[in-house]
Amino acid sequence: MTLISAASRAAMAGGLLLAGTCLSAAEDLTLWTLNFSSEASNEAFNKITAGFEAANPGVKVTIVTRGTDDHKTAIRVAAGTDKGPDIYFMWAGLGLGGEYVKAGLSLPLDKYYAEYKWDEKLVPAAASFSRIYEGGRHGVPFTFKGEALYYNKALFEKAGITGTPANYDELVADAEKLKAAGIPAITFGGTVNWHVMRLMDVILESKCGVEKHDALMNMKVDWTKEACATDSFAELDKWSKNYILSPFMGIDQAQSFNLFVAGRAAMMLEGDWLVQQLAEAGNLDDYDLFPFPTGTNRLYGFAEYHYVSTKAANPDLAAKFLDYFNSTEVQQSVLGKFSTSSINKQVVYDNLRPMDKKWLDIFNTFDKVYMNGDQAFPLDVTTEYFRVINEVASGNMAPADAATAMQTFIANKG
Amino acid sequence: MATRAIWSNTRIQAALLLGPALVVYVVFAVFPMLDVIWLSFFKWNGLDPVKVYVGTTNYVDVFTKDPVFWVAFRNTMIWTALSVAIPPMIGLALALGLNQPIFGRNTLRAIYYLPVIIAPIAVATMWRWMYDPFFGLFGQILTSMGLQSWVKDWLGNRDIALYSAFGAYVWQSVGFSMVLFLAGLQGVNRSLVEAARIDGAGRWAIFRYVTLPALRTTLTIVLVLAIISSLKAFDIVYGLTGGGPAQSTQMLALWAFTQSMQIFDFGRGSAISVVLLGVTLTVVIPYVRWTQKREEVAE
Repeated sequence: MTLISAASRAAMAGGLLLAGTCLSAAEDLTLWTLNFSSEASNEAFNKITAGFEAANPGVKVTIVTRGTDDHKTAIRVAAGTDKGPDIYFMWAGLGLGGEYVKAGLSLPLDKYYAEYKWDEKLVPAAASFSRIYEGGRHGVPFTFKGEALYYNKALFEKAGITGTPANYDELVADAEKLKAAGIPAITFGGTVNWHVMRLMDVILESKCGVEKHDALMNMKVDWTKEACATDSFAELDKWSKNYILSPFMGIDQAQSFNLFVAGRAAMMLEGDWLVQQLAEAGNLDDYDLFPFPTGTNRLYGFAEYHYVSTKAANPDLAAKFLDYFNSTEVQQSVLGKFSTSSINKQVVYDNLRPMDKKWLDIFNTFDKVYMNGDQAFPLDVTTEYFRVINEVASGNMAPADAATAMQTFIANKG
Repeated sequence: MATRAIWSNTRIQAALLLGPALVVYVVFAVFPMLDVIWLSFFKWNGLDPVKVYVGTTNYVDVFTKDPVFWVAFRNTMIWTALSVAIPPMIGLALALGLNQPIFGRNTLRAIYYLPVIIAPIAVATMWRWMYDPFFGLFGQILTSMGLQSWVKDWLGNRDIALYSAFGAYVWQSVGFSMVLFLAGLQGVNRSLVEAARIDGAGRWAIFRYVTLPALRTTLTIVLVLAIISSLKAFDIVYGLTGGGPAQSTQMLALWAFTQSMQIFDFGRGSAISVVLLGVTLTVVIPYVRWTQKREEVAE
């Protein structure tokens, strides 16, 4: 081997190595998400990333998981630097996901929604959250959770309730029947603020309707000038005094669930995840569910999303990964690993339990969603919303004062 | 020769020994403290690239617009007053009892000290279940005694929730005071006690005029530590009530944490921290100086 040929080979090898490095750097994809609650979820995520890497030679997908608070902090730290993920997990909604969108950390995905025809695959209610932000569509659903009223069939029967209520007034009438039969209508755990909040959310939707409810949550209207807001607080006051299993302010959601399973209360306002919990704790045949009868044709729920970062080195690759992640084939293969149901509506479900089937019907029926208050409001307003709700629910604040307290806080926020 | 002279200089030796600790202290204590004070004059959510200078707005907002701050302030003061009075008193009583030659006193000392080594968040979890109004220990005991009407929503009733949380804190912290007092009691001059006894002093008189003066330094340490730890009370309240119901058990340290790390309003959270620092220094420095003067006079 001559010196020249050796040198040229070394140069070629170096060039290839350099090219390889550049290629590798360009084809790296990093996703930041939460620690998964089960090994099955971990395995499913690994399976998806391995599948994507196999289908796209040269691409390396790195998944970084953290606890909830660490994850939020890490994204904030990354926001101030050039480093950070290409894709990040965050809940949908103006309060949580919206804050990062507002800070310019999320890339609008309109062109990818069109290019990959995601709307044809995604459950409409789950995908609807991507439209709530200003400046385009943001994020792609990872999971979608619906919330509804679960009820104890035997207790309903004992109270002489034969069907599910068609509207809010019928629901209150049923709660009154349960009370007359000596049965607390519903159970909540007050120490976790978001549990009782759910009742306030659904009452607001029932009493205010779609437009006013949204306007209140978006802080576009004055809470003191909307009679429905005060009416809703009055209804919350009525429920807490008459229909919620008491005492409830000193227990949490898990204790509340135990009371529900023990037959101490007839209903529980929970998400689709409760089906599995009920199956493990008791007999599913003893329970059934129905969407909270707000009369607005919107489902109560929230979604977890994957957002593409504006700092992503290769947004096209990130979108391609999300398309792969949410494809029918992949979603079919990991069905039930992340959530009861998939965000892909083309997935086929086999051997569904009756309650799972009911959830599936609900998801396919509703194409509009109203979300939990803690995901709709900014974080500081959420904290005040919790406080005001708890004050009303524990009988320390009059409904009219509650609306004033909310508006005062919002006005002071500026 | 010159090198040896440098190394034998006591000032240089002191500087070398103190240096590493001082660096750690400056980096991890002084700098963050100054950073918090600086941050309290800015508006920043941790996301925006620029922190906006807002002057004293955070302080004004905390004092005039925050619906929770004064509740947290009042609770912190109540908690501190109770912490200074109750756990040291019980700790002293336990120490006096367990300083006597009674059967199994070492075991009893270990039992009373045991809660101190349990993580506060674990204590909170344990006590939360004991306070459960439906299935909890206290509810079941009262029910079995026919006192069902006495069962309360211990952590859900705003009138009693703070005191319920304080009960758990007493259970956990009393062993710490006890150990300090036990150590202090070992320094009480036995001959003085015997002399007082020969002179006809009763138990109370011996305690009042011999034991208690000998415990003055220990008492100062216990009370200062009680004040400091109660002013920054956080974990046990966080674990038991999370500041609820309706923020009625909120504390200054917990509220500062909530503002900074949950609401991500770092400016306001820092302002609350600075207020807490000010309160702590206002209470602790005069007390320490007063006790130092008393000790100097006594000497």
